[in-house]
Amino acid sequence: MSPRPSLSRRRRPALALAAAVTALGLLTACSSAVGDGGSGGSGEPQSGGVLKVGTVTDLVPAAIFTNSNDTINLVIGQVFDSLVDYPIDSLEAEPSLAESWELAEDGTSITLQLRDDVTFHSGRPFTSEDVEFSIRQWADPKWTVQFQRTAAAITEFDTSEEHSITLGFDHPMNNVLDLLDILPIIDSETIDQLEKGEAYVGTGPFTFESWTPQSKLVLDRNDDYWGDTPRLDGVEIDIVPDAQSLVSQLRSGQLDLAQGASNRDIESLAGTGDFDQITFEGSERQTYVGTNVENPALSDPDVRRAIALSVDRDRVVEEVYRGVGYPIALPWPEYSPAYDPEANESLQQDLDEARSLLEGKDLPPLPLEYSTANPNNEAIAQIVQADLKQVGLDVELVPNEQAQQIEKLIGGSFEALWILDHAYAQYTPSSLAVSAYPFNAAKNTSNFLDDQYAAHADAAWKQPDPAGPEAEAAYADLNADLLDNLFLIELSTTFMQAVSKADLEGVSWTKRSELTFGETWLDR
Amino acid sequence: MSTAAVTEVAPAEGVRARRLRWGALAHGQGLVGVVMVALVVVAGLLAPVLAPYDPTQQIPGANLAPPSAAHWLGTDEVNRDILSRVLHGIRIDLVVVFLAVPVGAALGVALGLLSPLHAWADVATQRLLDVLLAFPVLILAITATAAMGPGLRTIAVVIVLAELPIFGRLARTSVLKVRALPYVESARVMGAGETWLLRKHVLPNSLEPLTVQLAVSMSVAVFIEGAMSFLGLGVRPPDPSLGSLIKDGIRNVWEAPFFVVGPLVVVSMLVLGFLLVAQAISAQRRR
Amino acid sequence: MTRYVLRRLPSAVLVVLAASVVIFSVIRLVPGDPVATLAGPDATPEARDAIRAELGLDEPVVVQYLQWLAAMVRLDPGQSYLVGGDISRLVREGLVNTLVLAGGALLLAVVLTLVAAVGGVLAHRRGVDTLLNGVNTAAVALPTFVTGPLLVLLFAVLLPVLPAGGTPPEGFWARPDISVQFLLMPALCLALPAAAALTRFLSEALRTELEQPYATTARALGVGRRRLVLTQALPNALPAAVTVLGVQVGTLLGGAVLVEAIFAWPGLGMLAEQAISSRDYPLVQTLLLLSVAVFVATQLLTDVVQALLDPRIRLGAS
Repeated sequence: MSPRPSLSRRRRPALALAAAVTALGLLTACSSAVGDGGSGGSGEPQSGGVLKVGTVTDLVPAAIFTNSNDTINLVIGQVFDSLVDYPIDSLEAEPSLAESWELAEDGTSITLQLRDDVTFHSGRPFTSEDVEFSIRQWADPKWTVQFQRTAAAITEFDTSEEHSITLGFDHPMNNVLDLLDILPIIDSETIDQLEKGEAYVGTGPFTFESWTPQSKLVLDRNDDYWGDTPRLDGVEIDIVPDAQSLVSQLRSGQLDLAQGASNRDIESLAGTGDFDQITFEGSERQTYVGTNVENPALSDPDVRRAIALSVDRDRVVEEVYRGVGYPIALPWPEYSPAYDPEANESLQQDLDEARSLLEGKDLPPLPLEYSTANPNNEAIAQIVQADLKQVGLDVELVPNEQAQQIEKLIGGSFEALWILDHAYAQYTPSSLAVSAYPFNAAKNTSNFLDDQYAAHADAAWKQPDPAGPEAEAAYADLNADLLDNLFLIELSTTFMQAVSKADLEGVSWTKRSELTFGETWLDR
Repeated sequence: MSTAAVTEVAPAEGVRARRLRWGALAHGQGLVGVVMVALVVVAGLLAPVLAPYDPTQQIPGANLAPPSAAHWLGTDEVNRDILSRVLHGIRIDLVVVFLAVPVGAALGVALGLLSPLHAWADVATQRLLDVLLAFPVLILAITATAAMGPGLRTIAVVIVLAELPIFGRLARTSVLKVRALPYVESARVMGAGETWLLRKHVLPNSLEPLTVQLAVSMSVAVFIEGAMSFLGLGVRPPDPSLGSLIKDGIRNVWEAPFFVVGPLVVVSMLVLGFLLVAQAISAQRRR
Repeated sequence: MTRYVLRRLPSAVLVVLAASVVIFSVIRLVPGDPVATLAGPDATPEARDAIRAELGLDEPVVVQYLQWLAAMVRLDPGQSYLVGGDISRLVREGLVNTLVLAGGALLLAVVLTLVAAVGGVLAHRRGVDTLLNGVNTAAVALPTFVTGPLLVLLFAVLLPVLPAGGTPPEGFWARPDISVQFLLMPALCLALPAAAALTRFLSEALRTELEQPYATTARALGVGRRRLVLTQALPNALPAAVTVLGVQVGTLLGGAVLVEAIFAWPGLGMLAEQAISSRDYPLVQTLLLLSVAVFVATQLLTDVVQALLDPRIRLGAS
């Protein structure tokens, strides 16, 4: 063998490696794809910059009004406005597109004065006819919105004046402001494009520019916004379906804010000091175990009560939700007129009582269905399974894809038990009983059809004053129904969370679980 | 050449091949592979004895605890002992590796051996196997899970469907190869039956490549189980499997970096062990 | 050559057709009714029927199948139910991403293989062999779902030099330097197992070539090892390696599902997962059929390339 090849032989791999490292170094040195993050801001509000938001879910055009995922909420929150806004910690509505309003004494109509300086992103002025159009859209069952029943109860529209509208109801109802808080005002001219996900035209602080399915959404600042013009130039929403990947992207500086990370990840990110956690207080969500009362094993209220007494709610809150929330027996938050502190404490873990309730009952193993969309559900399902095993009730875990779980929620086709969370307890209490899938007295997921419950729900709905003494008496009846029947076993109230870089300021959120970036700025 | 002479040669070859095959596993990389697989298998079989806890027992207060004397590999998100879960998790993979793969292999081999007997059946079978082969395994897995729901049964079905065409093709190639051998052709001319051919010549000749493929497929099966569990298509909780443990471990890699180590080591040992066995056998054959 | 391709074509088309029947029937076995999901809880039976008719789901199954097939032939798969939008647009966007990823991985795999296999054979040293063998073994034994998160952890989080996932914000072509950074980790992750298998195969083939009589003669005549490997052994070993590469392309496309999930890469794998989980029949059907067609095409292409590289196959065929 000649010496020459042996020489080059030894050097070549080393050279190649060095070349590769240099190439990579050069590549990242001249223009790195990884943002260099904030290098100390002034602390003063600044203008400009594009906010990069990451979420784990994609837009679903057919479900755009269902308030069902973070990306939908982000789009609705930035692009659209509603007529009124609830502050996050009360049920006293504040003006938005409506400047003022007056509810009729008998609760069968409402008159709203509308702003006259509002235009849609298309340039068309906003008028009372847009209100009628939006409400009629929501009454259309095809959108499967939870407030469909409330929207459909609005049957008369007086749009004779451009900036004033009177809505007449089928019957007295006290939750119309809930509807007006949730309902986005949509543009009638672009409804076809909205249905296909091609355009979202509203009156909000940001305009919709583009959606690339599975990839990203781009929103730009609306320079003609009727309120304060946003400081940000725009918002880019990146769709990152894997929560792990989402957290990595946030850590590596690719994202400014992430929605959909687990509570544990958010806890540990916030612990580093480089990130802030955003907890949506005032936009409560309740985690529950649902029961199908048509299942022979669960038709017995004692069995349902035994389940309710078996679950370790404190453990769910502490270990799964990392202390973000509190255990409950009833859904209402403290500011709700239906809140009853004593009743809320009435379901404490009591294994002996649960065992005695089940004594002599020979129950088959029951399937417990949960959605795989979020690891929290799987953890809770396993905790519930272990708790029920202690009282002699065997449970078989059935993981469902989110789409299947929602389909079963809507169709009431769960075989026995399921785990999900619900919202709407943060609104007027009657909204929950007449609107939410798991509670709706006319048709609910538990298939619990009970004349007394239906009558109480109806009575609560039709009281003109949602916080008056008659209404409160009706809520007390409802609470008694819920606790006696336990067709739905509440576990905990939790808050949605997001996590942002520490240099992101002025992020707020709504009662509808939407983050809003109208006043957001980057402190760089 | 007489039929007697043929029957004399063929078994002799078969015997030689068999001796070589097992010999390859008695030293070098073959031995390393066998030892790795054996260690994991024994650990899995003895899991009920070796595991300090029940794999589904939730231990109060031990939430994602780091390794300690009580929990050698720590505990998981719902307070279970990870070591016990790893040991029991092996058992799921053993079912997959030693039941689903052989079933898929046997079905495939049967198809591959029998289909060439009939020209029309051969074409039909080949196209069917082509179709099966044309679906990427994970796409197959996602579809099967949508249809059947997640669980061990689905994993097993996916693996059987994935292995069937591979073994089918391999066996068919062997049949065609052996049939083309001059001595076999002459035997057929003399009236030797097809089943006799299969039994005496095709099977012994194809045993070696089939064994190699079996070992490779077993390592792939471990990977498939892991990938399916990683995508949330695996076994149902609370049962542990190596793949679902890796998924949980990766999810908690910041809070509990130790979590993923145990299941990862075991999976790597299994995958590597089977590959080394396959390599040893095929290396021996070439010599 | 054309005749060779023509001869192989009918069976390829047959496979795709058979697959379309399988896909169509399997999709209909999946539980979950898209009409129920779309119509919602309060829909009247009439509304449901209207939606059913709008989606063409009220036709007999055979008619539905033929309509679908006709649509596929026209390359107009229609609208997606739930993911939203034109299927052809969704598929086109996903396809570009997947092709970039798979192409990058393929390129990386080929380069890694050539460097490792040829380098290893040229080096001809025990130390180098052992090292290459070790790396190779690790690449085979560590599953993608472990190497992926590990790479992210190392190069995006602990040492933040590369993006942890996603695709370049301005598209692939605007800033190639940025795009390479986004592509590097997912492509490497996808390429590793393929490169390991290819390297093993090519090294073995090269060694076998070097033991051939012609090689011994050449060595005796004073031809250097390097020249021998590069001018003789490598060209001889390549056709078989191309076949293995063809098989790897299938594996690569399958593996892309996992890599896309880990790196938030919006390709066809991710689209397929979402389509199946939301029971978006038209989209699922299109994607499954596409994956089969790509696989069959790859196989055909492999055979053609092999025939081009090895005249014996080509001549034998004609």
